[in-house]
Amino acid sequence: MKRLSGIKIISTAIGIMITSLASAHHPIHGKFDPAEAMQLSGIVTKVDWRSPHVHIFLNVTNNNQPVNWAIELENPSILVDNGWKEDSLEPGAAIIVAGMRARDGSRQIWGDSVTLSDSGRQVYSVSSKAPAKPLTGRPVPRWPSDNKPALGAGPGGIGGIWSYPSEKALVEDGVNISMNEYGLLDNIDDAARVAPMQDWALARYVHRQQRQLQDDPTYLNCKPPGGPRQYQSDLGLQLIEDKKNERIFVLLGSGNRNYRLIYLDGRDPSGQVGGDDDNPLYYGRSTGNWEGDTLVVNTTGFNEDFWFTNGGLPHTNRLSMVEKFTRTDFDTLHYEVTIDDPGAYTRPWTASWELSWLGGKELPFSLCQHNRQ
Amino acid sequence: MYKGLIKGLSVIIGVVFLSFGALAQEGHPLKGSWIGEWSGNTTHGDFVLIVMDWNGEEVTGMINPGTDNMEIESVELDPTDWSVVISADGYTIDAMIENLELPSRALSGSWRSSNGRGDFEIVRQ
Repeated sequence: MKRLSGIKIISTAIGIMITSLASAHHPIHGKFDPAEAMQLSGIVTKVDWRSPHVHIFLNVTNNNQPVNWAIELENPSILVDNGWKEDSLEPGAAIIVAGMRARDGSRQIWGDSVTLSDSGRQVYSVSSKAPAKPLTGRPVPRWPSDNKPALGAGPGGIGGIWSYPSEKALVEDGVNISMNEYGLLDNIDDAARVAPMQDWALARYVHRQQRQLQDDPTYLNCKPPGGPRQYQSDLGLQLIEDKKNERIFVLLGSGNRNYRLIYLDGRDPSGQVGGDDDNPLYYGRSTGNWEGDTLVVNTTGFNEDFWFTNGGLPHTNRLSMVEKFTRTDFDTLHYEVTIDDPGAYTRPWTASWELSWLGGKELPFSLCQHNRQ
Repeated sequence: MYKGLIKGLSVIIGVVFLSFGALAQEGHPLKGSWIGEWSGNTTHGDFVLIVMDWNGEEVTGMINPGTDNMEIESVELDPTDWSVVISADGYTIDAMIENLELPSRALSGSWRSSNGRGDFEIVRQ
């Protein structure tokens, strides 16, 4: 931990505790080091309210000289969802910020908490809990043409997105493991229980965990959140059903506003069809069909250029996935994925979680701008 | 004359490879194309190219594909310390993976055969 006069630096233990209160799900550990917890007291000089991340500029007095620090916060849309506005904090305000310092040693920290010095009131705080759902489950909207469940707003419905995943990283169903919102294990000894990994894959997963996820290519190189990771982003996603052309667009709120296509027209799940060139890439090649009220999607053709989950579980180009999407009520989407990757795992395994419907909300405008390498 | 031409072409191919950044590879750490040197190798020259793949059970590959075509007979990876032993055509290479999480990770160590021994270092492309 750095020692800087005039700047309060709190213990790592307290920092980790505060971190657990935050709800950022971006791969920020590539830029900020959770082992470098620190606290700053100063005067706000500017609030830069823009995507992908809001910044507070703060003058901190150090040896009787003002030193300017940058405090990085969540995406504006997430802050808005939590009731905050650009002018919720104004220049001149005295604040205390707790967070983690940038790995490159520059005067930047990730703000886990921002507190007004005079009143002790928190600003720009974010909750990871989904909004409360109606006590009585609302019925699933259906398409009149085929009576299939609508995966989005449905006919005549208002728009919305799926967000607030109940799990933040892939873990085999039935395994109870404690980790933070970035997929960082609380206890590295739990690594082998996360999934049935081959020896090399387990060693690589442990290595990534021990490096606090700083090598995450989604941050370092703005790589898309391919595989199941796209359903564990706090920026949400939309499922747009193109009934006429028998396909579904998965529009992602994160990862440079990428999209993924799921074909329902019975085409071959491998190879090139009709000139499309979407494999082998970050989202693979997906074909699906309805089994009752569940959309079952098979995907192959992944490259190996990305992490397919928060937390850094490895995969190879032998990965194939079977995903099951079931809208259990109007406000809930149950997502289940079976991972079959004989290049990295000893057997197929399954993970599942739920996403919540945020009616009337559009995908936030978020573009990855890190691209440091 | 012929050997010199081959060697020259290999160097040119290597320079072309090296002029591009390494492709990301977040899967098996040995998979990919590697270029570097096994210094003091009077039989095949100092310059070496190795291509390796992972089929889920074993690492396969070839040394100096297109010129010497030495098929890799076995690769032992110990993930506890990321040490690697490569056996091919009478050669044994003992090396360690360095900078594991970088696309341009390295394999650094030594080579030996009945004809000699020396330092070994290749970098993933």
